[in-house]
Amino acid sequence: MASAVAHESHEHTHYTTTGLDNRKVAIWAFIGSECMLFASLISTYLIYKGKSIVGPFPHEAWTSPSGQIFKPILNIPVTSQSTFVLLMSSLAMVMALDAVESRGKPGYVGTIKGNSKFWLAATAVLGATFLGYQAFEFTSFVHEGLTIKTNLFGSSFFTLTGFHGAHVTAGVLWLLTLLSIDIKRGLTPKDALLVDICALYWHFVDVVWIAIFTLVYLIA
Amino acid sequence: MATTAATPTFAPPAAASYGQTGIWSWITTVDHKRIGALYLYTALFFFLFGGLEAGMIRWQLALPNQHIVTAEQYNQLFTMHGTTMVFLAIMPLSAAFFNFLIPLQIGARDVAFPRLNAFSYWVYVLGGTFMTVPIFFGNAPNGGWFGYAPLTTMPYSSGLNIDFWVMGLQILGISSLAAAFNFITTIINMRAPGMTLMRMPVFTWMSFVVQFLLILAFPAITIALVFLLFDRFFGTQFYEIAAGADPLLWQHLFWVFGHPEVYILILPAFGLVSEILPTFSRKPLFGYNVVIYSGIMIGFLGFGVWAHHMFAVGMGATADTVFALTTMLIGVPTGVKIFNWIATMWGGQIRFAAPMKFAIGLIALFTIGGISGVMHSSPPADLQQTDTYFVVAHFHYVLFGGSIMGILGGIYFYFPKITGRYMSETMGTWHFWTTFIAMNLTFFPMHFSGMLGMPRRIYTYDAGQGWDTFNLISSIGTAMLILSTLIFVINFLKSRKSGAIAPNDAWGAGTLEWSIPSPPPDYNFAEIPVVTSRYPLWDLKHPERTAGIAHSAPDIMTITDAHAVPVHEETGHKTAAELGIPMPFNTVKPLIAAAALVTMFSGLLFMHKDQFAVAMTITIGSAALFVGTLYAWLTSPLE
Amino acid sequence: MPRKRPRRLASALILVAGALAIAACGEQYPNSTFTHLTDFNTIIDGLWNRLLLLGTIVFVLVEGLLIYTIIKFRKREGAPEPKQTHGNSTLEITWTIVPVIILAMIAVPTVDAIWKTEAKASASSIQVQVIGHQWWWEFRYPQYGVVTANELYLPAGRTANFQLNSRDVIHSFWTPQLGGKRDVIANRTNYIWFTPDSSLAGSVFNGFCTEYCGSSHANMRFHVYTVSPADFDKWAAHQKEQAALSPVAAPAPATPAVAVKVASAATKPATAKPAAAPVFTPTAEGYEFPLDKMPAHTLPQTPMPVGDREVKFDDALLAQGDAARGHDLVANIANMGTVPCLTCHIIKGEYMVGGKQMFNDDGAKAPNLTHFATRHTFAGGVFRSDAKTLARWIKNAEHMKPGSLMTTLGNGEYAPSMKSKRTTGLDDRQIADIVAYLLSLK
Repeated sequence: MASAVAHESHEHTHYTTTGLDNRKVAIWAFIGSECMLFASLISTYLIYKGKSIVGPFPHEAWTSPSGQIFKPILNIPVTSQSTFVLLMSSLAMVMALDAVESRGKPGYVGTIKGNSKFWLAATAVLGATFLGYQAFEFTSFVHEGLTIKTNLFGSSFFTLTGFHGAHVTAGVLWLLTLLSIDIKRGLTPKDALLVDICALYWHFVDVVWIAIFTLVYLIA
Repeated sequence: MATTAATPTFAPPAAASYGQTGIWSWITTVDHKRIGALYLYTALFFFLFGGLEAGMIRWQLALPNQHIVTAEQYNQLFTMHGTTMVFLAIMPLSAAFFNFLIPLQIGARDVAFPRLNAFSYWVYVLGGTFMTVPIFFGNAPNGGWFGYAPLTTMPYSSGLNIDFWVMGLQILGISSLAAAFNFITTIINMRAPGMTLMRMPVFTWMSFVVQFLLILAFPAITIALVFLLFDRFFGTQFYEIAAGADPLLWQHLFWVFGHPEVYILILPAFGLVSEILPTFSRKPLFGYNVVIYSGIMIGFLGFGVWAHHMFAVGMGATADTVFALTTMLIGVPTGVKIFNWIATMWGGQIRFAAPMKFAIGLIALFTIGGISGVMHSSPPADLQQTDTYFVVAHFHYVLFGGSIMGILGGIYFYFPKITGRYMSETMGTWHFWTTFIAMNLTFFPMHFSGMLGMPRRIYTYDAGQGWDTFNLISSIGTAMLILSTLIFVINFLKSRKSGAIAPNDAWGAGTLEWSIPSPPPDYNFAEIPVVTSRYPLWDLKHPERTAGIAHSAPDIMTITDAHAVPVHEETGHKTAAELGIPMPFNTVKPLIAAAALVTMFSGLLFMHKDQFAVAMTITIGSAALFVGTLYAWLTSPLE
Repeated sequence: MPRKRPRRLASALILVAGALAIAACGEQYPNSTFTHLTDFNTIIDGLWNRLLLLGTIVFVLVEGLLIYTIIKFRKREGAPEPKQTHGNSTLEITWTIVPVIILAMIAVPTVDAIWKTEAKASASSIQVQVIGHQWWWEFRYPQYGVVTANELYLPAGRTANFQLNSRDVIHSFWTPQLGGKRDVIANRTNYIWFTPDSSLAGSVFNGFCTEYCGSSHANMRFHVYTVSPADFDKWAAHQKEQAALSPVAAPAPATPAVAVKVASAATKPATAKPAAAPVFTPTAEGYEFPLDKMPAHTLPQTPMPVGDREVKFDDALLAQGDAARGHDLVANIANMGTVPCLTCHIIKGEYMVGGKQMFNDDGAKAPNLTHFATRHTFAGGVFRSDAKTLARWIKNAEHMKPGSLMTTLGNGEYAPSMKSKRTTGLDDRQIADIVAYLLSLK
């Protein structure tokens, strides 16, 4: 198995033990580490759930000292939409990788399926849309009186989702970089690895969001 | 030295540079061996610095109610002593060996990402400086190396002290993580043909476990520090008592990192000792598999014992029971290692060269630390021991008696490989005995002062509490320890210039790094060796020593790489160009990226002076420089 | 023979160490944890004995084996290559199982001790709320309505159940001779209990904060007095009441030994105007732990600050201190440009101008001083409560105790927390009056 890969790319690639590119091994290690990062953030959110002394709260209505009544702050229908958008971006990412890997193959040339620029752009746009939803969510929360300084819920919620948002932002920049390379010189199957590691990262960020959506939004 | 066949064919100092000389070549180097050397020198410097801090601490405590330093200075000293030794001395000393040795031991020409490696080093040295320099201005971190919230939050520590600590650790975490990704990839992916996992040298194996501990443990402290940073700068309430925060959140996050950290500190030393003992006993390691599996086991269990640092916080009987049992369990694989080491020596022909003295010293001293460790795995007993000098004694037996003894042994052992010269054996003997005695003189009495009621981290104490004599002995021991370290420093500096010249195989060892010249050429291996067993060099020179272990036929392996050849001793000293080996270009970009990263954090400090604009300018400017450098770095060719 | 010299040095050093160790054996260990003075420590010491025994056996075996190995198998000239071994399953399984057995021998009594020591305290226990502050201890007895600081009275023979809370950072409550430590944490209530043996009536023990809590962590100590149940009841009944507010009132009926202590200040006839507050005559007889029964190791020895932190005070003024004038000052020093004592402290029966106590008991920021003169120490148990120390403390507490949250009050004194010299505040005469007043709070 190792020998086959080594022979295929004997020119510029060094011999590797597993036959995988170093960058691919490294991104897996990186994702492993990121899992612990988000595990720490999510645990903190869950530990502090229900511990806030003052509202607003995620799932319960709250009356402020001034008598104002707040609805539960999480807006699940809207977040469901943004979750769907992010899921779709993962699909587009799969298509983008497929398009780059299969460049020039019959059934890909000239079709939308083989248009890696389209799929990369689509992934980036969907990612950016998700960020737009998040920006909308954050601003409306601030209007409803919840900031990062308000209570334990505010601190842990904004930090957790903000960290995730920062990861999405980095991913969008990464996608745009790939897109610009694709536009400049065209990504070929030899570059598939570049798209592959970006895709791994993107799917990971997506999976993390599924965990956040379930644990933070859905479970009251 | 009858076992070493090769004699040096060239004078090391001239060949050591392989065309690379001058300060600029060091600043821009991406050679793992030179980066290893940089780690070694820098970490030794911080080790001496941390030792002097300890000296001040012991001077203050030598007699009751002294006023050598003030309470505030004392608190900074013990905080920085702990932080320095853990993050700036022992971890980077291990990193020096990771860098220098891992590629050599697995038969690779460099690490997977040479420039990332340089970046890790520069982040470390700049982050370490960032955290250390404030001590000269009386502004050093003062919240303890464990930085328990809420003491470290704004209401209780409003000075810059804690900011230096929070940011410094965050910076150092980036360095460790980047290095860990690099070494994991290197070990998984860059082994020479035939170097299967279960043929890797034990040091590389222990390092491999450590890298996993690093990538899985550091995120927890990263998040804990992010919370603290946000609390201090952006008004979040993670540790805010008035907002209903749970002060134990910090402790859990910190110790989820902190306990694996203990194994991050000790396992590399275990690895080094596992290289030294077989070499000087002329026998392969006894029970290689068991030593490896116990190392993995320690790493794995290391994540399930963190709350034994918290037996006094009132977790309840159930949690105390669970963590007591897991803690006791982790004693088993550790004990197994000790027996395997002794069994390695059993029946051997033990030569007491300096590295071996330190390796045996580790076994003797770590055993004591292990036993006292089991003593506080028992929560009710620990309620009397925790936060007393008994604990100080315990972890110094583990970290000094274990990590430092192992690392010192490793330095004596690998000095000939790194520099091409031996360290003086006479001074090494002096160094060992004075260290061994001074170490026990310093730390053994702490068992007593602790059990006799002396709390940790107190800057002063009254006379007649039953602690006077023990403290005086400890302080005398520390003075001796400083003198003994001076012997080491002199030996180290002198031997670099005038030590006896070392051949390839300086000690008659069995692993790949000894098959190439000392110091190794920049490309390490002119021809990549095909490995057929655990001790490739002994296969060559002492086949009787490896007769009993599994071998594979070399020809099966050669298929994978046309350039690979059977293991042999390399004596040539051609340049990489002559051999046609592509070498990575030197580059200053990692240093610029590292500097930008550190400046980015430093900018935030201005927020406390209410200079928001300055803070944002520096931080955003540096961030832009960082990203720009990163782009330039990633788009420029490696070699 | 340079190789031999380190070894000779080694033996010399071991001799010196041995001599010092023998010297150490002659010492007294007043804070030893190896006691059976409480049920708690008896359990722990039993556990410790097993740990020590097994630990010593393992130590001797492993180190013995190690020394034997390195001597027996040291290199000999001309010896053949050693016999090669690579492992031995039987041996390796053995030295995996043996530690497991040893650890099981520890685990069983450990688990037993965990559940015993963490069981609920008996219902008849005396309840003590322990509140950690930077850097002093507050002790409350809800069953008795008593609040005190830094000195903990316990009836010998009765289980004391401590309920631990912190008002700020994490502290840890520890009396080595009586029991294990337990952390004192804000937003979290911890418990620990122990029963001082009934033979302990009339004993005193040192206590310490054992969680690093900032600048004066080393200066956060306390004392535990274990007294007979009868004495305890007397003490509690007296502490519950307010103190005799003015020396004009009938002198507090105290034990003669203690009366002598305050004689210089409190029994001087008041020449100034009579006290403004109502005179109160305590009904309870009262008890305080006799000072002469306190061994040297329980008396604080903290030296007076020196150098640029020195606090100068004219001790001759102390003899002229007037408790009645002092009484007026504690509520009124706002006139001197500084915060009145009652802003932070509670003295039962004393009111701020306007007739109000600043806060209820729960809001106290500083030690309750109601019966200050019955305590032998103050400031986290690091100073003797004598007039000279007290005067310097009031003048510049920040110099007396690093980081002290009690601000510098003396006029012209440098206040570290303000990074400047005070231009307002108390003069030495006024301080002497306050000292006289405090020492009258029997």
